[in-house]
Amino acid sequence: MASMALKSFTGLRQSPQEQQHPHFIAQALPRQQKFRVSAAKTSPKLTNRNLRVAVIGGGPAGGAAAETLAKNGVETFLIERKLDNCKPCGGAIPLCMVGEFDLPLDIIDRKVTKMKMISPSNVAVDIGQTLKPHEYIGMVRREVLDAYLRERAEKNGASVINGLFMKMDLPRNFEQPYVLYYTEYDGTKGGVGEKRTLEVDAVIGADGANSRVAKSINAGDYDYAIAFQERVKIPDEKMVYYENLAEMYVGDDVSPDFYGWVFPKCDHVAVGTGTVTHKGDIKKFQLATRNRAKDKILGGKIIRVEAHPIPEHPRPRRLSGRVALVGDAAGYVTKCSGEGIYFAAKSGRMCAEAIIEGSENGTRMIDEGDLRKYLEKWDKTYWPTYKVLDVLQKVFYRSNPAREAFVEMCADEYVQKMTFDSYLYKKVVPGNPLEDLKLAVNTIGSLVRANALRREMDKLTI
Amino acid sequence: MASFAISASSQRACSSNHVTKKQPSQTRTGRSLGTKQVSNVVALNVDGQKSLDIVEQQDKSSKSSSRTSKPNVAENDDLDTQSSHPKFNDARWKNGTWDLNMFVKDGKMDWDAVIVAEARRRKFLEMYPDSATNEEPVVFRSSIIPWWAWLLHSYLPQAELLNGRAAMVGFFMGYIVDALTGLDVVGQTGNFICKAGVFVTVAGIILFRKNEDFQNLKNLADEATLYDKQWQASWQDQKPSGPGKKI
Repeated sequence: MASMALKSFTGLRQSPQEQQHPHFIAQALPRQQKFRVSAAKTSPKLTNRNLRVAVIGGGPAGGAAAETLAKNGVETFLIERKLDNCKPCGGAIPLCMVGEFDLPLDIIDRKVTKMKMISPSNVAVDIGQTLKPHEYIGMVRREVLDAYLRERAEKNGASVINGLFMKMDLPRNFEQPYVLYYTEYDGTKGGVGEKRTLEVDAVIGADGANSRVAKSINAGDYDYAIAFQERVKIPDEKMVYYENLAEMYVGDDVSPDFYGWVFPKCDHVAVGTGTVTHKGDIKKFQLATRNRAKDKILGGKIIRVEAHPIPEHPRPRRLSGRVALVGDAAGYVTKCSGEGIYFAAKSGRMCAEAIIEGSENGTRMIDEGDLRKYLEKWDKTYWPTYKVLDVLQKVFYRSNPAREAFVEMCADEYVQKMTFDSYLYKKVVPGNPLEDLKLAVNTIGSLVRANALRREMDKLTI
Repeated sequence: MASFAISASSQRACSSNHVTKKQPSQTRTGRSLGTKQVSNVVALNVDGQKSLDIVEQQDKSSKSSSRTSKPNVAENDDLDTQSSHPKFNDARWKNGTWDLNMFVKDGKMDWDAVIVAEARRRKFLEMYPDSATNEEPVVFRSSIIPWWAWLLHSYLPQAELLNGRAAMVGFFMGYIVDALTGLDVVGQTGNFICKAGVFVTVAGIILFRKNEDFQNLKNLADEATLYDKQWQASWQDQKPSGPGKKI
């Protein structure tokens, strides 16, 4: 492994890399392990067995992938290390996810229909007036959602294994299977677990931000943000305010490149913040967030503190051979809003569909080309969404004046309508061109005003 | 400015009461807050005057008794000290917005004063972030200030500066080109190369005002394309780069 050439990502750019961003390195695969890309029609038909696929990780991505695979005749193994995992997460799912994944409505703890954006100078803007009565952002508990998707996969024929994936042997040629090494737990608390192996034809890596599958295929690293969250149980009369309202705080005190939030959960609120560039100061940002929401969460008790990484962009290599990454393992979290649950589930499903198609319902062996189709479809469908959110983050989370302009723009009804339409239905819909022009003019106006105020502020001394 | 605000708030949050009051005045380089005295309550006369007042130093003891801090098992150093920071106060700031009637000067609306007042408020909040309450929501929108007021206040002085620079550069370049090539001003305006040179110079003066601007623009260009590259990375190694790679 030491003889691998390190292809630095910065070689693609002309200028030297800034200090802020950690290195983004793609490692080249050893020569003998690259697979030829060829059509699946020429792949051999599997005799006396169906295609075996292992899905590592039982979150939304893994659950959705396993369900689709099992439903269509593939022998599926879902390996999850902690079946009752209570994951730290914002827990917001868009409306389209309920329909697309047939989620029962009792999974949703709360339906958020109003949001408040609060600028650095505490200008508060209410958004959500344009939502129709049936539209909402669903807040779920991850343990409930993940368990539901896993159980559904199991009902469709997948074998759910409670185990921790350790490593994987890559096959030496096309006919050989992938050999997975994992530690199986038998359900007793504190049990050490038995080492086991499993031979499969393809692997879907859905094991999250610190994916071991990604390491096994040398997928490379990504920049990531740290999200820090405290769950606070506040008195009932204060909880009424957060009945179906979520808040977003922006400002340099709260986060230099992200936002702080107060999201209502089943019977408490989650107060948190995140950052990419100043991870060491996350506690200060959290204090500032709590300070900004002080009056509204006064008298609350912190019942849990949690933190987790959020990928900022996809890994350099999202698939290799017959191994594909989905969800957080692939880095499918949007910028600006940090949304990942829907994209994880959708990518799991899309990857599974590509495998089904390439293997003709589990009867043929697949190869890398079939998995590339999943990448193509994914990039084509969701690239505009990701790009737009990236541009929004770059423009509006840049500095305090930009954030003030952002909050001002959110007061506009057209902006609210476009934002919610694209968030709830995950489609970037081109709006009315005249309104778009007005929006562009207003945006520039807001930015100019905010920057003019900034210049004024610099001249002042307090 | 940003890191400054964060460090100020963090020092506030992590240190005890009396140190809190001293630290901000030390860390703020060269800026003096005249009314900030250790453990003094400075009451400013704000009634009926148009003067700008800033700080009402609040005694910690009076504040902390009216707040119940959140009992947190692990830490108890972060919740009590939030109450001792100054709050923004101005005679003309009422109910979460500027009372425009108080900005009338000689019978005409004084927008410059509104702009300066809002800038001061934002600066204050940047240094001492305040909680956003529902009882006194901020409803002020900077769009209420008409566009020509912004022009008069911020844009015109800058435009004057840039025009002055352009004129000076233009005059001397005209002289030098005349000395070098013999083309006088009338002849230079007819020459394509000279006109191109003028265009480049004007663009340069507008874009590159400080030495950092060059690097800033370069960083911007990189930033704009980095995300695309990160997404395309999966497709980089699809094309085979050598004959020995295929099996």
